[in-house]
Amino acid sequence: MESIPLDTAEKIILRWDSTASEEAREKMIFDGEREEVDLYLHAVDEIQRSLSSVSLSDDPSKVNSALQIAMARLEDEFRNILISHTSPIHPEDPHDTPSQPHHPDDHHDDDDHREEVEVEIDDNNNNNRRNSNKLLRFNSEDGSGGSSVNSSSYRSTSSIREMDLIPCDAVYDLRCIAERMISSGYLRECIQVYGSVRKSAVDASFRRLGVEKLSIGDVQRLEWDQLEAKIRRWIKAAKLCVRTLFASEKKLCEQIFDGLGTAIDDACFMETVKGPAIQLFNFAEAISISRRSPEKLFKILDLHDALMDLMPDIDVVFDSKSSESIRVQAAEILSRLGEAARGILSEFENAVLKEPSKVPVPGGTIHPLTRYVMNYISLISDYKVTLNELIVCKPSTGSRYSGDPSTPELDLGELEGKTPLAVHLIWIIVILQFNLDGKSKHYKDASLSHLFIMNNVHYIVQKVRGSPELREMIGDDYLRKLTGRFRQAATSYQRATWVRVLYCLRDEGLHVSGGFSSGVSKSALRERFKAFNAMFEEVHRTQAVWLIPDSQLREELRISISEKLIPAYRSFLGRFRSHIESGRHPENYIKYSVEDLEDAVLDFFEGIPVSQHLRRRSQ
Amino acid sequence: MPATTENNNQGSFLGRISIRRNQVLSMDGTHDQEMEDLELFQKHVGDRFSDLLSSTTDDPSSDALLSIAWLRKLLDEFLCCEAEFKAVVMMGREPSQIAKPPLDKLLPELLDRLVKSLDICNAVALGIDALKNIQRLAEVAVAALDQAPIGEGQVRRAKKALSSLVTTMVQEDKDPSKGTERTRSFGKRSSNTTNQAKSAFRSLSWTMAKNWSSAKQIHAMSSNLNAPRGAESSGLAQPVYIMSTVLVFVMWTLVAAVPCQDRNGLGTHVGLPRQLSWAHPMIGLQEKIAEEWKKKEKKGCVGVLEEMQRLDKLGQSLIEFADSFQFPAETERLEEVKAQVEELGDICRKMDEGLEPLQQQIREVFHRAVRTRTEFLLVLDQAGKLAAPST
Repeated sequence: MESIPLDTAEKIILRWDSTASEEAREKMIFDGEREEVDLYLHAVDEIQRSLSSVSLSDDPSKVNSALQIAMARLEDEFRNILISHTSPIHPEDPHDTPSQPHHPDDHHDDDDHREEVEVEIDDNNNNNRRNSNKLLRFNSEDGSGGSSVNSSSYRSTSSIREMDLIPCDAVYDLRCIAERMISSGYLRECIQVYGSVRKSAVDASFRRLGVEKLSIGDVQRLEWDQLEAKIRRWIKAAKLCVRTLFASEKKLCEQIFDGLGTAIDDACFMETVKGPAIQLFNFAEAISISRRSPEKLFKILDLHDALMDLMPDIDVVFDSKSSESIRVQAAEILSRLGEAARGILSEFENAVLKEPSKVPVPGGTIHPLTRYVMNYISLISDYKVTLNELIVCKPSTGSRYSGDPSTPELDLGELEGKTPLAVHLIWIIVILQFNLDGKSKHYKDASLSHLFIMNNVHYIVQKVRGSPELREMIGDDYLRKLTGRFRQAATSYQRATWVRVLYCLRDEGLHVSGGFSSGVSKSALRERFKAFNAMFEEVHRTQAVWLIPDSQLREELRISISEKLIPAYRSFLGRFRSHIESGRHPENYIKYSVEDLEDAVLDFFEGIPVSQHLRRRSQ
Repeated sequence: MPATTENNNQGSFLGRISIRRNQVLSMDGTHDQEMEDLELFQKHVGDRFSDLLSSTTDDPSSDALLSIAWLRKLLDEFLCCEAEFKAVVMMGREPSQIAKPPLDKLLPELLDRLVKSLDICNAVALGIDALKNIQRLAEVAVAALDQAPIGEGQVRRAKKALSSLVTTMVQEDKDPSKGTERTRSFGKRSSNTTNQAKSAFRSLSWTMAKNWSSAKQIHAMSSNLNAPRGAESSGLAQPVYIMSTVLVFVMWTLVAAVPCQDRNGLGTHVGLPRQLSWAHPMIGLQEKIAEEWKKKEKKGCVGVLEEMQRLDKLGQSLIEFADSFQFPAETERLEEVKAQVEELGDICRKMDEGLEPLQQQIREVFHRAVRTRTEFLLVLDQAGKLAAPST
């Protein structure tokens, strides 16, 4: 189109002055015919041209005035175009992300195929809820193949998926307007109007994505299980926000403002997303500074990993100088989350050491603390990739207080070549045993103390053996030590219980030395039998109620007992029964056959009380 | 003379605290040392705020009260106080010593205040973003009017920007989430764009959580703020009380200065101990600030930041000029306007230079609060004084 004369241009501008006419207010130029649009733009160009030309024949103030009217009008048009084409992002809409492959993580509720370990250190709580299921790791979608919708994208991270927020022709119009506003020195107005409209669009998208506005105080006040659900949702939302929402806004800024001046697209982008980005990260920050307690570890690691995963995208989307503060903040939060994880691990170790319950577990069975700790470190081994990066210091293992009986010790020298995390895990097992030792002392019966230790250390061994990651970290050396420990406890138990029982069946003291009759003291023999019977009955009644939960261990111990008891009794009976049977009321003394005893041993450690008297088969 | 005007404020306080405390001294020896350190801390606090108070005279070479530069100084002093506080309380002491009564109760209260101050920091940072928007509007006015000759077009442009500016300043204060720009040149719009138009006319700044109130937060922080009495006043309870007071006062000042969500009721004084000498400069400052606050409350304007007040005045005056403008304007009037536009430009420059660093300082305060809280939580935990967290 050839250029139009100045006064025509001015007329056109004045015709569209919205302060001057009703009609100008009610219609939008860019909603109408293309010719009208082109005409107006040409008019603006003419005004601009005449202002920059040297001739001062015209009254500059009139032209200036026209320019201001035109700029005001363009600002309104700009706003209108933006508003008409603004709709919040629909994350589930297939039209928006046609190249997005199906992700189970996105569409299933987490609870479908993940169960959580509820971990609590609770004195009197004997049942650990759902402690056998492992928390499945939240898998980050990396390289999930979303190439950008727009083929002209030059993003290098494949996980960023921008959308075209505004159709091309609208973008073209916006750019036409922006060009003219900026070249007339109205950049600030342009940024202002752009920012205000896009901000509310982003805000609406945020609401759709379920991004909440919570203060740090709010987060501190919520219960942890509520927060866990929020963390899950946040992780999903954050990925969408960074990779799609913010990336798309950035793209839009580039489409409209690229090349129109220095870093104007950056300025508009920051104007639009700085607030939302900070609001988004604020939640993660609030979590990272919440009070540390052991049950928080794994969700915090999830959050850490998700943010870590997002960092490359954050770096790409917020790559300008003006957005440095956002990158810095994200990095700070990541670091805090790592610190939190370290702190929680420390807390956990402390808690295990100090766990104060004194009520002995009935029957000497596995203490809830043991279950809790072993489940916990099993989960830790699942997260070992992340934790190996975060845990860089070995635990302080009490070497300051060497010889101090009130703290456990661990010789780090034997653990050269192990990662700090692995050392921590071993240390935790050391602390656990230390604590259990203390608890075992609350049993009045020393045999039960040993049984208790045997049960619990055996459980530890089983758990370590059962998890390849855990086993690999703990190492077979230490595993051997643990095995030795429970075997030794078994031996100690046997000594504590059975030495005195078997003592009744000893040979010495029964033979009367003397002159012509090398005989057996019948009275002593009767005492022996009575003592044995009484002791055995007591042991039987008492220890039937004790429990060894592991069936194999139970069997082994019974066999071990039998191996000592049965031959001794058989041999005793064999040698001395005739003496008793030749006297009065032999049944008072020889109450049990060997088979009776064999049967009785089967009652041991079942955790079930037996009736007062042993069965007497032979009667 | 305390080196509050030195650049390395961080380093200067260390010289004041004797590091002999780390040596194992006899009970009496350490006790005297401690008393000295506690007294020094009090004195330093008093000195710092005294400096801040004295820098508010009409001497143009010093920073005006509640200007951006003054706020930055305030935060600097705060960070110094905080560092000294930590040193005084923690250095050379075992956790069990630190956490013994009454600190077993007083420390958790301080930590709670620290958490509350985090939200204040975030709100203030948002407020600074709002100020940047306002700055931009002022810059438009400067760009428009900083020309010769001034024509109708420029005047209209300036008026548009300044009207926005003035309106925004009022709205930011009232309720940012409901703010609407009513001063646009639109009249009627076709109905299908009305709703969208309304949503587009939101306030220019982002908001805190719904129902969050900065004034309420300050009041919550200042509850239970009681000077230790009797025997307690010579122990660690005193520095804890001083630090708590400083914290609350600084947060209160920030909220008064910078637009923050829901400041209704902020004018009520934070209770400061009149009987303690270190608090006198703070009380002096508080009185001045409260005075300004009352004035602003009456006029219904955004907070008491000095630059905002000047922008408000200049804005109103220039709008008046714009309303009565006829080309060409009288030379005298133009001279006046030129001076005002220069002043406007000056304020914009100050904002341009100072707002970003101020935001960074707020962030630094945030970090420090988090760090200190974490350290003290550890102390309490090691001393066995920590209740299990409810969350």
